Amino acid sequence: MAASATTRRAAVGASTGVLAVVLSFAFASSTRVAVALSLFLVILIKGMVLLTSAQLRATHPVIARAALTVVVIDVVLFATYFFPANTNSNLAIGAAMSIVLLGLSFLTGASGQISLGNGAFMGVGAFAMAIWANHHATSPIAVGLLVAVVSGAAMGLLLGLPATRLRGPYLAGMTLAFAVAFSAILSSFNSWTGGDSGLQLPTAATPPQWLLNFFGPGTSLLTTNSMWTADIAIFVAGIAFFFMANLFASRTGRAMRLIRDNDVAAELVGVSLPRTRVVAFVVSSAYAALGGSLTTLIDNAVSPSTYSFALSITILSLVVIGGIGTIPGALIGGIIFAYSNSVITWITNQTGLNPQGNLASQLNGIIFGVLLIATMLFAPMGIAGTVRHLRHRRRRRVPG
Amino acid sequence: MDPILTSRIMSDVLGGLTNGVVYGLVALSLVLVWRSTGILNFAQGAMPMFATYVGMGLLSYHLSYWPCVAISIVAGFAVGGVTERVLVRGLYGKPEINPIVVMVGFLIVLEGAAAAIWSTKPRGLPNPFSSIDYQIGGKPFGLSDFSVFEIITAVAVMVIIASLFRFTKLGLQLRASALSPEVSRLLGVRVGRMLTLGWMLSTGVGTVTTILVASNYFTGLTPQVMDGVFAFGFIAAAVGGLDSPVGAIISGISIGIILQFVGDYFNSNDIILVALLILVVSLMVRPNGLFTRSSVRRV
Repeated sequence: MAASATTRRAAVGASTGVLAVVLSFAFASSTRVAVALSLFLVILIKGMVLLTSAQLRATHPVIARAALTVVVIDVVLFATYFFPANTNSNLAIGAAMSIVLLGLSFLTGASGQISLGNGAFMGVGAFAMAIWANHHATSPIAVGLLVAVVSGAAMGLLLGLPATRLRGPYLAGMTLAFAVAFSAILSSFNSWTGGDSGLQLPTAATPPQWLLNFFGPGTSLLTTNSMWTADIAIFVAGIAFFFMANLFASRTGRAMRLIRDNDVAAELVGVSLPRTRVVAFVVSSAYAALGGSLTTLIDNAVSPSTYSFALSITILSLVVIGGIGTIPGALIGGIIFAYSNSVITWITNQTGLNPQGNLASQLNGIIFGVLLIATMLFAPMGIAGTVRHLRHRRRRRVPG
Repeated sequence: MDPILTSRIMSDVLGGLTNGVVYGLVALSLVLVWRSTGILNFAQGAMPMFATYVGMGLLSYHLSYWPCVAISIVAGFAVGGVTERVLVRGLYGKPEINPIVVMVGFLIVLEGAAAAIWSTKPRGLPNPFSSIDYQIGGKPFGLSDFSVFEIITAVAVMVIIASLFRFTKLGLQLRASALSPEVSRLLGVRVGRMLTLGWMLSTGVGTVTTILVASNYFTGLTPQVMDGVFAFGFIAAAVGGLDSPVGAIISGISIGIILQFVGDYFNSNDIILVALLILVVSLMVRPNGLFTRSSVRRV
């Protein structure tokens, strides 16, 4: 039975794929568009076919996760082609931030540690990317991102070593001290970091020629560039989410959750506390750095004032509001971050506040702070955790 | 005149001592809350900052300096008590992340609210004492009227807190409810009130500290005035051990003096770096602080 179901699914998938290709070529305005459209649809269908197989989800969860990642990347990348420039730049910012959030969410949710310094780790990646690009102008973007990840991980290891022996409040305080010290650290390496004015990237991230050809002449630079950076950010975020989902489910992830719930029991069954804790901290720092390097890419520049202590608190707020230790929570937080400025502007306009006034300029911090407190007091699992909880409860109520 | 008194080293020691007592006070206020409720209060800088704005704001209503100081301290008690009752009460016994997150949230709400009400422009507090260094034989000596006042105030606060805990019945109740809440309740101690009182005292100490910090001509009172001081105070408390009031004060003063030398002989940017280094190294050597007696955690 199972075999025939698999065969049937494969047959349906293949025929839909062929149909999709035929339709693309029939209706698209040019061959190029038709190729793109059929590529998009074939990837989508192939992914969906894999995803809908319950058997595959049970026996090969990694492949199922990969399929989900590919489908999501496929759909979102396709969508960026139609989005206006400002939607794309919001999407890019949201994707970059969601990587950072995922890192902290993992640290806190899986290992029970907390960091108030992830804004500074983000800054480490942002500056590493900019410094690298300024010294190696021709190096591909991927190398810059990799350099940023490695520097973030190295910095995380440096600070994480004492963290292996620390419990919650001490670690939180130490990372807070790092966040507060970060601007002084940047000033100490003035000749590298460009001091107060920060750094510019030598060249803006522009799409390759074949993609520009695809757009055809006359498309504005703003449109193509914002689409390109959004695509990079979404692609990288997809990979980062894929890795994290696997890490969550892996032996290491389970060991971390055991430490969070009962560290004595964890040691008893042979989990190395120091090593697992330091791994969690390093992964979280590396993710923050990756998000930071994407931010440099999106902004085409990096400024030290961006990576203040306030950013670290914003990151913490977004993780808590989205849902600690959940993957959708990191996405929700990223979206909130991308649109928070627009929402604040909207509120300011609606209430008739003076946009240059004291209250309007503080609204962002006050709202995030109130939401942070309210979430922790009344729904400590955040949006994603609460939704999941409600869904489980409803499912349990239905008999059978 | 003895050249040692006017030497650079002497002036650094005295200047460091003046900063160090401030760090020691912040560390002490953190320890007070930690010992009574097991919470590291990340809003320990922001709560007194708010109280100071409320109290010292009355200066513009033709009230003179000392009544405003008194009102600020009373406001500090009030802020501490209300915070414990409203925000913190529900957090006891929750995972240790919850109070950290809530207090960080409270920190940004208070700083945002203060900036919204009073703006981020530094507000100079009138300084009742001169900040000009004493001269010995025409050379500056590392103390001024104001820094002597600062040291005396800090020592007075420390002595008051210590004798309250050691010699009064109230202090005994406070210690008992921190040590064993259930037994204390059984013996008739109003444990809930003691916890509130611990937070009130801590914020009161914080308010004195904030006034001292903000009276400095160069900083003034700003919503973020305590951020940096809090970081140094936390480092002092962590190095000394969050359980040890004496350790907090000693390490606060030592860190103040060390950092004064760093700032003088190296670069002012290096101060926070060295502080971070001290913290990391000391936590690696003794994760529970240098002055804590027991390092074994019960399962």
